This record gives sequence, C-alpha cells and structure tokens, in this order.
Amino acid sequence: MTKTRAPAGPKLRNTWSQIFETGMGARVYPYLMVLPAVLVVVGVVVYPVISGIMTAFYDVTLRTLNTGTAQFVGFRNFERVFADPVFVLASTNTLIWVVLNVVAQLGLGLALALLLHRAMPGIGFFRSGILVPWVVPSVVAVLTWRWMYDPSVGIANEILLKLGILDRNHPWLGDTATSLYAVTVESIWKGTPFVMLLLLAALQMVPRSILEAASMDGASGWRKLWYVILPQIRVSFAIAAVLTFILTVNNFNAIWLMTEGGPLNSSEILFTLAYKYGFQRFDLGKASAVATMLFVGLVIATTVYLKLIQAKEGD
Amino acid sequence: MNIHRKLITGAAALALGLGVGFSPALADNIVFWINSPLASSPDAPIYAELKAFEAETGHTVELQPVAHMEMERNLTVAMSGGAGPDVMALDIAWVAGLANAGLLMDLTEQTAPLAEGYQKGPLASGRFEQRQYALPLYTNNVALFVNNKMLADAGIDKAPTNWEEFREAAIAMTNAEKGTYGLTFGGSRTGAFQLYSFIWQNGGEVIDDEGKVRVGEPESVEAVEFLSSLYTEHKAMPDSVLTANSWDEVNAPFIQERAGMLVSGDWAIAALKNGNPNLDWSVHPLPVGKQAATVIGGYNLAVNANTSVGDASWQLVEWLTGPRSVELMGKYNRLSAAAGAAAPEAIAALPEEIKPFMEQADAGRARPVVAEWSQIHSEVFGTVWDSVLRGQPVADVMSKADAQTKSIMGQ
Repeated sequence: MTKTRAPAGPKLRNTWSQIFETGMGARVYPYLMVLPAVLVVVGVVVYPVISGIMTAFYDVTLRTLNTGTAQFVGFRNFERVFADPVFVLASTNTLIWVVLNVVAQLGLGLALALLLHRAMPGIGFFRSGILVPWVVPSVVAVLTWRWMYDPSVGIANEILLKLGILDRNHPWLGDTATSLYAVTVESIWKGTPFVMLLLLAALQMVPRSILEAASMDGASGWRKLWYVILPQIRVSFAIAAVLTFILTVNNFNAIWLMTEGGPLNSSEILFTLAYKYGFQRFDLGKASAVATMLFVGLVIATTVYLKLIQAKEGD
Repeated sequence: MNIHRKLITGAAALALGLGVGFSPALADNIVFWINSPLASSPDAPIYAELKAFEAETGHTVELQPVAHMEMERNLTVAMSGGAGPDVMALDIAWVAGLANAGLLMDLTEQTAPLAEGYQKGPLASGRFEQRQYALPLYTNNVALFVNNKMLADAGIDKAPTNWEEFREAAIAMTNAEKGTYGLTFGGSRTGAFQLYSFIWQNGGEVIDDEGKVRVGEPESVEAVEFLSSLYTEHKAMPDSVLTANSWDEVNAPFIQERAGMLVSGDWAIAALKNGNPNLDWSVHPLPVGKQAATVIGGYNLAVNANTSVGDASWQLVEWLTGPRSVELMGKYNRLSAAAGAAAPEAIAALPEEIKPFMEQADAGRARPVVAEWSQIHSEVFGTVWDSVLRGQPVADVMSKADAQTKSIMGQ
C-alpha cells in the first residue's frame, strides 16, 4: 500500500497571534482580554476599599499623615468610636432614616407605578413630570426644601397654618424633634421617582393574559396585586429595595446640606459622622472605623436580603 | 571676523549681560487659592494687582477662587496629599491647625524685618508657637448694624452703646403681631463666632494666653446667658437663629426689615446693599459690656510647605500684604492689615460704614491660636449655642463645654 501525501500548498506565514490559538496561549487568551478591566476595578474599587479598611487600624491624623508616622493601633479607633455618645445616636438615626426611606419610597414608588401603568390620555406627560424630583440636582432640591422649611417665610408652615394644623410657625429643621423627619421627607420626595421608574418598567413586562385570567376568576384589585402582580415583579422589587437601601445609607447630600447632622446631632447619621471625623477633625483613623462598619453592615444586609429573595424564588 | 572670534565675542556679551543683570530672572508659575469674594468677577481688583505683580517680577500667577466654607477642608486634603496651591488665603482661625500639621512654610526669617509694616493684632494671627507662618491680607471685626427706621419707630433715638441699651432696643423693636424682631443672629458655628465678643466684653475668656481653658467661668456663663435670653426669654430674635448656618441666612431678616439689628463684620455691607438698596441702616461699634471687645477676623496669606516655587511665592505674599494692600483692600471696602491703614488720614478716607470697624480696632481680640481651634469652635461652641437656644441651662452647658474643651486640648 502506498501512502500518498497531500500536495503541499502555499506555506502560511506565522503571526504572533497564533500563539493564542492553541495550547496554553488559548487558555490564557480570555484572561488577557479581561485583564485591563480587572486592573481598573482593582485600582478604583478594590484598592480604595482595602486601603480604607487598613486605615481603620492605624492612628491616621492630619499630623501623622503628613509626617508619615501613622502607627498601627489595632482596634483602638473602633473603641474610640464606640465610646463617643454621638455614635450611638447616629446609629439609631441611621436605622430610622433607612427604614423610613426604604418603606416609604417602595410604597409610594409602587403606588405611583400602578397609577401610571394605565392607558390614558397624556400619560406620557405625567410619567415625565413625576420624574422631575429625581432629575433635579441634589443641591438645588435641598436648597429649595430648606426655604420651604424656613421658620419665618417657608411655604410648609404657611400651608399647615392655613389648614389649621399648626397655630404658629415651626422651625422644622431647627427643632431636634423634627429635623431628621423633615430631611427624610425631602429624601423620600427625591428618591421615589427612581423606584417608580424601576417598578413601572417591571409592570409593563407582566403578561396581560395573566391579569385577564385573574379578572375572569373574579379576583379583586387587592388580590390581583398581592397574588399576581407582586410575584411577577418580585425581582425588580428586590433590586429596587436593595438599591434604595444602599442609596439611602449613602445619601450624604440631603442631610449635610439641610442640617449638617444638627441641631445637636439630632439628624446625624453614620455617614455624616464619618465625614465629620474625617474632614472636620481630620481624624482619618476614626472616620475609617465608622466607614468600615458601614461597609460591612451594607454588605451583610444586602447579602442576607438577596439570599432571602433567592430562597423564596427556589421555593 | 572668523568663527572663533565670533564665539568669543558672543560669550563675552552673554557674560556681560548676566553680570549686569540684563537677563530676566527665571520666571515661576504660582498657583494661588483665594477666598472667592475677592475674585468674584473678571474685573475684581485682585486681577489688576496680580498683573502688576507679574509685570514687575516676571512670574505668572494662576488664581483659583475657593468658597470660604470649603477652603479649610480643601486646603487640608490637598496639601496633606502633597498637592495644593503654592500660596493660599487663610481665615486667621485656620493658621494654627495647618501650621501644627506642618503644611505651612515657616516665614519667620523673611517676615522679621517687615513686622513694623503690619498692625500688631492681625500680624499675631499668623503666628503659631513663636513662628510666623502667614502675613495678614486684610482684617475685620464685628460691629452693630442698625435699621435706623425700625429704631426710630421703636422710640429710640440713638444706637445702643452698652448691653442694657442693647437689650432694651432689641425688645423695643420686637413685635410679635408684625413679625418683627430686635436682633438677627446666627445658629451653631455662626452664632458661636458672634458670641466670643460678648464673652470677652464681660471679662470672660475661652482659652487664655497661657493656654488655660476658662470656658466655664461665671463671666463667660453670664455673657452667654445675656445673649441667649434675647431669644429664649424675650423672643427678640427670629426662629431663623435655630438654623442660620450661613451669613446669608443671618442677614436675611435684617435685609427683609424683619430684624432691627445685626451683629456682623464688614462682609455684610455688600450683602445689605445688594439685598435691599433702599434699606436705611447704619454701622456702630459693638455695645460695650464691662469692657470693649470685638472678635478679629480676616484673611492671611501663607505659603505651602511643599511648594517648589518658594521664593516666588514669598514675593507674592509680600507684594499683596505690603503697603499696596491699603489701596487694594480699599477697593473691596475692606480694611487692610498694613500699618498704614491705621493712620488717621487713611481712616478719614474710609467710607462712612467702614469707619466704626476701624474705630473699635483697638478692642479687637483674636480667637485662641491653638491647633485645635476649628474643632473647639465647631463642636464645642457651636453645640453650646445650639443647646442654650433650646432652653438647656447655660451653666450646665458651659460646664460641659469647659470639660470638652479641656479634653480636646489634652488638659
């Protein structure tokens, strides 16, 4: 039996990219492609987080920072933070602030989404109009609300006086009993349209046939909402909840620009407290300790919530 | 002429030029952060002054306006990272903190021969632990602004000159039905700044020259009680005192003719003129307690410790704070801190509304020059004022403030 050789064709020139086509090169190739993105993420996300956490264990003040003499102090910064009575107040305020914001924004956002998920003349105008608070820059919104709350000439007092709810002007931002809640109202006003937008998009994906079937089965409006609509939009709802939670904890602008955490720390949250430690006292170690606790808290809360949602979905 | 000869001639000319100073000095670019009111528009006087400096020295200056409320934080963050401006304008209360952190260039040697050229109080505000870190650009203090019409309507024919008259005028101008009040005042930090003059007027101290904390002493308590009672007892201040954290908010009731008096510095003049051109007001020295006293404010110029253009930066500081500052600051209706500005002829040339500030300049007191001052001012005294306005017992609040100040000072 004779073996025949295939006729030799024109010889292809080797190129350097051929090393990625077989063997080890082919295995490395995808990693090389994502390497630039990984480097960017490490540089702008991972490194600052690790650096911030490390700082929490060092005595970093303005002087030590400048002289490069920051010393490792273990958990001393955390001890100092826990010893500060304002930290306890700020933690309580953060809890109130987050719960009120998340519950109100999700509730109102869902209500608005249901309201605007209807075919009616001019619905586009209303959908756009409701987004205005979200579009307005934070600083403009906050300053507007500050004037609305002004104890002498603010429209909030004017309306409440006219309605007979108040008998004299009230310093909403100047009263330690109302300052946190006054800022919360602004924050809810600003954040709700974003939640509404997420839920409205989800509502539009709910198949009309399911709703029609529920109607034919005699389901009332509330039962349709509870047993049909909410299960259908639960993923979007969960995403909206997590995002609202994170955005609220990190909502520095509203509190800082309206009250700076005052009066007498009555509207202080952990974020503003960390800022004060860091950029008013320039005690960066203490500021990092608070920021680290906030970071860990956020990660745990978000993870637990998402796991619960996943578990429910598995059921 | 052959090439060799040409080279020799050229080298000789160059050497001659260098020798007699014909060659221009090496020009540097100086980055200069200034408080924004001094560079509020392209035709602000500072720009012409910097052009004159550039023409004289050959250096160039890059002017960057920064808002007062953000200046301290931005400077600290930038300079701690080895960046920031070469020259900066500093509120006099910030010098100690930045110098203590090693962020300012020590100017003691350069400034020693020039000391006579500055007013003593403002010059001292640039000193920390016997070293000079800054020179004064302009100085100010707080005086009493009075709405002449409201005062006359209240049946009072002259501005108050002592505490008793001050209280009577404040109460007389207060009318709950009309919504008018005797005095507009700041809350928190802003109110605390206004408070210091009254503490000193009553013979009290915050931190004395030896560094001893004296916040809780009876004189200080009495002064805080006097002022806070105008709100808590006599209702002679509008509720805006609870929230007014900026001068705009403090000025607003005065501009709107809802408050008859305002305790403020010369920076209020432009705000009042712009806010209500028809307002009939006048400026008077602060009413006197046991003694005259008014808190000194103002801005200093300092050089970044890490600057690469130290000589040029120092030249700029010397230029702007020197005798030329009298005319320069006059264009802003502000008081130069140069010695020449305190001369009788210079005072006589001042606008009427500025004269009262200069008349009481001798009673000017600087806030304590300690590194922790910003923290003490914001956290301790801001809280003191917020607490007493909300009815907490003054003696308790001041006693707590005393302990807190000592703790911050490490005493």
